[in-house]
Amino acid sequence: MRKLETYKPIQARVTYKSPLKIKSDSLQKLSRDKRAIVCIFFLFIVFIIGIFSPLLAPHNPEELFYESILEAPSKEHLLGTDAIGRDVLSRLIYGVRVTLTVSLMAVTITFFIGTLIGLICAYVGGWVDNVLMRIMDILLALPSIILALAIVAVLGPSLTNAMIAVGIASIPGFARIIRGAAITIKSSGFVEASRSIGSSHSWILRRQFLPNVTGILLVYTTLFIGVAILDTAALSFIGLGAQPPTPEWGTMLSEGKNYMLDAWWLATFPGLAITIVVFAVNFLGDALRDIFDPKSSR
Amino acid sequence: MPNILVVKGLTTQFEGEKGPITVVDQIDFKVKKGEVLGLVGESGCGKSVTSLSILQLLDKNGKISGGEVFYNNVNLVSKSEKEMRGIRGKEISMIFQDPMTSLNPVLIIGKQIGEVIEEHEKVSGTVVKQKVVELLKLVGIPRAEEIYYEYPHRLSGGMKQRVMIAMAIACNPAMLIADEPTTALDVTIQAQILDLLRSLKDELDMSILLITHDLGVVAEMCDRVVVMYAGQVVETTDTRTLLRKPRHPYTVGLIQSTPHQSKGERRLKSIIGQVPTPDQFLQGCRFADRCPKAMDICHSTIPPLFELDGQTSCRCWLYDDKKEEVI
Repeated sequence: MRKLETYKPIQARVTYKSPLKIKSDSLQKLSRDKRAIVCIFFLFIVFIIGIFSPLLAPHNPEELFYESILEAPSKEHLLGTDAIGRDVLSRLIYGVRVTLTVSLMAVTITFFIGTLIGLICAYVGGWVDNVLMRIMDILLALPSIILALAIVAVLGPSLTNAMIAVGIASIPGFARIIRGAAITIKSSGFVEASRSIGSSHSWILRRQFLPNVTGILLVYTTLFIGVAILDTAALSFIGLGAQPPTPEWGTMLSEGKNYMLDAWWLATFPGLAITIVVFAVNFLGDALRDIFDPKSSR
Repeated sequence: MPNILVVKGLTTQFEGEKGPITVVDQIDFKVKKGEVLGLVGESGCGKSVTSLSILQLLDKNGKISGGEVFYNNVNLVSKSEKEMRGIRGKEISMIFQDPMTSLNPVLIIGKQIGEVIEEHEKVSGTVVKQKVVELLKLVGIPRAEEIYYEYPHRLSGGMKQRVMIAMAIACNPAMLIADEPTTALDVTIQAQILDLLRSLKDELDMSILLITHDLGVVAEMCDRVVVMYAGQVVETTDTRTLLRKPRHPYTVGLIQSTPHQSKGERRLKSIIGQVPTPDQFLQGCRFADRCPKAMDICHSTIPPLFELDGQTSCRCWLYDDKKEEVI
């Protein structure tokens, strides 16, 4: 009988610099990605602003300056004042808290429920898939804002309910995307191989399916943060979301658009704030996908 | 030697548009302890479905409709899905044809192998890691500690197949089903993998069911051979007899269509026609329309398996007068 020790191992094609641990490896890649660094830095600053808004804001966001209504940006009011004389900069700074909390919570709801439904549909298939996906199709047939509207109408208008509504309204689209991505994995060789070694269903879902859709998950989650900010704004606009005088970016934007020609600063600055934050989050999602996808090594 | 795996009358059907289609029809074979049994046949004759049926890994539209699979005298067909999970990987494991697609591209090698151990044995994380590194060394992978953290796409085909083998033997199974383990690899790597399988078999005291269409691999590896055609066993014999004195005309055809160094012939012979698909099976012998020796009876009645000399049995009317039948 031949001993294994005499076996001459074949050479690996790859040369290794040092044994890398996965986590530090990903962090290293992250630190080399300028795009990711800029986004993380920016979002970090936004968070800091949110946390320390009472210290940073020059005025109380609800304070009314009767003598300076619709005033253009000046030394006293850096970004001007709105139609009832509130300081736009202060409202923007306080708005970070409201806007980020609402959109992040909404996306968290979408993320967990949507991923769960998508993966279960893809993995189980059959009638479970059919029933769940038809329900999703029915929900998709309604524009998400109408759906959110209906949910808020049932729950009653408040910021928390708007958050829940926006989260639920995004689930169908999200679940469909995840299901589409995961369904190709079901028939792949490694799932069969995993079953052949006796893996449990939950392991296959967690360790075979989930890592394979992480890239898509990251990108869509960040995209949905943008959608959530805009949807919340829309709900607030029709009075079903943030209740005045709560400073919320979407509300500020929709209020400001009435004065677009007379007072451009009212809509412009909240709009810019939303755009930049959404951009940063999306870029970060893209960068994270590249980093966590082992095939796109640079 | 006691039998470790006994397959009796195994029949597997798939749902078709016009009712069920029988893909594997009344298969019988035995694997003895420590033996390598070859399962040979052309593409599409039901070899892979047989192996998937043994582990009950068939797709949802496939079903075992009859027969028994005894592993150590326990019938696996009556086991529940949960009980089967305890057997897969622990008692019987499987290596697949294509190592390129059988590894999860986004999971490091170490975690994929470690899963088998975590699933079947209650041991701590560090022990699992040690075992995985040991296994990687056992299957001849260099720098096992580094490969542990690598993703599959950075390994060559041969290395990936070694990883698959490590995964299959992680819990010391008594029975290994290798479904064309070398088909997707190039020739030099094939020899290495076969070598590795053979030494592991001796070292770990395993039995192997080797599924292949390559008679060269059979000659190299197997003790006994089962030849399958169109979902049926057509010949069972030991390897030496199979290669020296093939009985069934189909086996003869298979051997003649294998390149042979010493014969010096310029052209390979081939068996005319193709394996019939399950919905086109003939009424009589399923090989009759491709058989050079077909007789009248072959077209009308399906031949039983004739027992020839205790070791050999053959499903062909040519051997009708020689021995009594077994079925």
